[in-house]
Amino acid sequence: MSDLLEKYVRPEKNPGTACKGCGLRLAHRKVLEAIDELGLAQGDVVWGTGIGCSGRQTFVTWKGDTFAGTHGRVYAMATGLRLALPPEKRLILTVGDGDAFTIGFLHLLNAARRNVDMTVVVFDNLGYQSTGGQYGVTTPLGSKTDSSPYGAWEPNWTQGGFDVLRILKESGATFLARHTVLQGHEPVESLKKAIQNRGFSVVQLIYPCVTHYGVQALGTRDLAKIYDWFRERTADDLSADANTHFTTGITHDASGSRVEFAAGLRQFVASVQKGVGNGETD
Amino acid sequence: MAKRIEILISGYGGQGVVRIGQILGQAAVNQGLYTSMLISHGTETRGGYVRSQVVISDEFIDSPVVERPDFFCAFSGIAYTMFKGLCGSQSLILHNPDIVSPDPGLASPHWGIKAEAVATEELGDAVFANVIFLGALSSRLALLTSEHIVEAIRERLPQRFHEKNLQAFALGRARK
Amino acid sequence: MKRTFDTGNAAITEAAIRAGCNLFAGYPITPATEIAENMSRRLPQVGGYYLQAEDENAALHICNGGSIGGLKAMTATSGPGFILFADAFGWAVSSEVPVVIVNSQRVGPVSGITGAPGQGEFYLSRYLTHGGNFETIVLAPSSVQEAYRLTVRAFYLAERFRTPVIVLADQMVTDGWETLELPETDAEFLAMGLEVVPRRIHPGPEFYPATDDIDVPPVVLGHNTGAACSDWTPTDRGHDTEDITWQHKHAWRLIHKILNHRDLIDEADQWYLDDDPEVILVAYGTPSRVVQNAVNAARRDGLSVGGIRPISLWPFQDHLFKRRAIYLVVELNWDGQLVREVQRAAADGSQVHFWGRCGELPTSAELLEDITTLLKHEPLARDGWRTEKW
Repeated sequence: MSDLLEKYVRPEKNPGTACKGCGLRLAHRKVLEAIDELGLAQGDVVWGTGIGCSGRQTFVTWKGDTFAGTHGRVYAMATGLRLALPPEKRLILTVGDGDAFTIGFLHLLNAARRNVDMTVVVFDNLGYQSTGGQYGVTTPLGSKTDSSPYGAWEPNWTQGGFDVLRILKESGATFLARHTVLQGHEPVESLKKAIQNRGFSVVQLIYPCVTHYGVQALGTRDLAKIYDWFRERTADDLSADANTHFTTGITHDASGSRVEFAAGLRQFVASVQKGVGNGETD
Repeated sequence: MAKRIEILISGYGGQGVVRIGQILGQAAVNQGLYTSMLISHGTETRGGYVRSQVVISDEFIDSPVVERPDFFCAFSGIAYTMFKGLCGSQSLILHNPDIVSPDPGLASPHWGIKAEAVATEELGDAVFANVIFLGALSSRLALLTSEHIVEAIRERLPQRFHEKNLQAFALGRARK
Repeated sequence: MKRTFDTGNAAITEAAIRAGCNLFAGYPITPATEIAENMSRRLPQVGGYYLQAEDENAALHICNGGSIGGLKAMTATSGPGFILFADAFGWAVSSEVPVVIVNSQRVGPVSGITGAPGQGEFYLSRYLTHGGNFETIVLAPSSVQEAYRLTVRAFYLAERFRTPVIVLADQMVTDGWETLELPETDAEFLAMGLEVVPRRIHPGPEFYPATDDIDVPPVVLGHNTGAACSDWTPTDRGHDTEDITWQHKHAWRLIHKILNHRDLIDEADQWYLDDDPEVILVAYGTPSRVVQNAVNAARRDGLSVGGIRPISLWPFQDHLFKRRAIYLVVELNWDGQLVREVQRAAADGSQVHFWGRCGELPTSAELLEDITTLLKHEPLARDGWRTEKW
């Protein structure tokens, strides 16, 4: 494992700055494993990040080219960047649940609509943890957080019949999966498929925040107890009750079924150039 | 000192107010002159008008504002009421007497042209009224030649409309 | 030269294409929509990309993303969209990303009046994002021809300074039609004093040097240089840091790379200042055209009057106002924005008066009347912030 970090992670960012026991390290490692198993080198990947624990802890860890967007807008930036990058470059974004599913959701949906070739890995820590623990749209109902002292009651996008990944499917995403970091190699397999998809992929990767969610919602600092809670809540299939479990698996695989945005735009531009000639004013 | 001509054209949307300005401006450019045109739209609540302020000069135009129009083409009663105050004895006001009744208190000379009626009668469509006005106006515009305006009509209008618009222009230009 | 009769919108489009723009992302808004429409027609013809974004915030982020991939990007908007740039503008400033932003100012605040000119974003263009610690380059065209020149110039400065450059136009410049001369050859382009800087690629590893140097190649991703750019305060390598020393170095660079190379930015028209006129009129954008007309007319009447038109608005050119004089600042707003900077910069003993209006240009006759009053040292009927009573 340390070989993997040496291969891909900047030495000055290893170890990272995540809290002791934070599940983010596992999540980060899953992405590196997927990259490694796909045989990708440092120069094959451009890595972007969002805001929050996920973004801050993974920014500029990648030895190759990296960038961090403003909060929720990294999908729009990646759309512009994708037009400039050679198609073979893999564009991977590691972002948080708040970045992707709330403040950045408009841009995420539009990236899905366009089917822009990027892999968005949502490191989901069940709420806003870098600001000290407030509930978000993936926080289980009833969870006590610093902004839901009587329990989270606002409807979320993972329970009560909602699934944020279903919205993304309807919006045109071509690969969607959800896992928790405690599922061994399964998330890596999904990440590999996501990265290989020449289109818009999202992998929601749920991980335990021990410092805030653990203490506030689960009432314990004991890492073993927190991880046990996550393990018990993880269902290995998609048919389990989402009100009580993290249902996992590939929710949608339509890889290659839609024209990728940058490829489509290039083709469109070429057809215009062919039709009207180069640089003619009228 | 520069020769500077100020032309104000105003009426409803769809009457070709901007188009007339475009043709005049294009003709001026083709003739090697300087020209500017400001376009403004009044909101519906303010009575709804489109206004083109066209300035043509033989040197760089500083202010593009028409303050003392040499010509005012008033295509609607609202436009006439709104902008007649800018007109003095030097301003020739072109209007359709079927639409705009001249204010007897105004020092400006008025030139009534029943352009809509002529257009309907001669060309089968009132839409050509604006180019009839353009023709009439051009006969008084010493700075621009008729040839350059005709060339500009060809440049600024789609080809399928050339014939009728050139007829309209000739009809307007022939008016006394 | 190709001599045409066209709008400022068309001039801006042709200038962008000539400057090598190959990405435009925007959102329709009056009166800047026509720029987007023109770009949607022209960009594919030259192999460039046109995108309609989900909002202006996304539009500038798409431009930023394209720019860090090596594209030359532009967006265009008006007030209600301009405020949505705040997020992406700050990112571009801090990450030192070349990008061009056009704002056709209309009447505000908020949606205001869509099709009438205003000048309400003089200060907003200077501080289009939060946090301070930076300087901004803002250019203000006053004619269709100048909209062409300054748009090319904006791309040029953006590349050399690694920063977003704002073209602060107004509705009458963008929607207005004028004689427009377009260069047809490189020689004609150069003869106009214009230049294009191709995109360079920073080789790393010190992407953010703590110097005031310009012509530092921008950070471009995709070349495996270990490039790093972000919203965080960067170290010289682009790593995120919370070290206040790095922050100071970064801010110092953002400020002084611009302030220490003002010879490349500063531009103004000055009319009849050689004989130290008693009254000096000041305006930018379309109102400056009427000011020029009024000043010319006053001079013909033998009055002691001059005029100043700042062409680059920010950094503000304090040096233009070192004459002791009676300044009359003419703006398309009722609150007075440019006038505040003139008040600050004017030589001791000067008087600074404000002439404001919104949605319509002043007339030369009105300005001439005020010039005469000021020369008689009498109070103006409509002065300062007490212009009209309701």
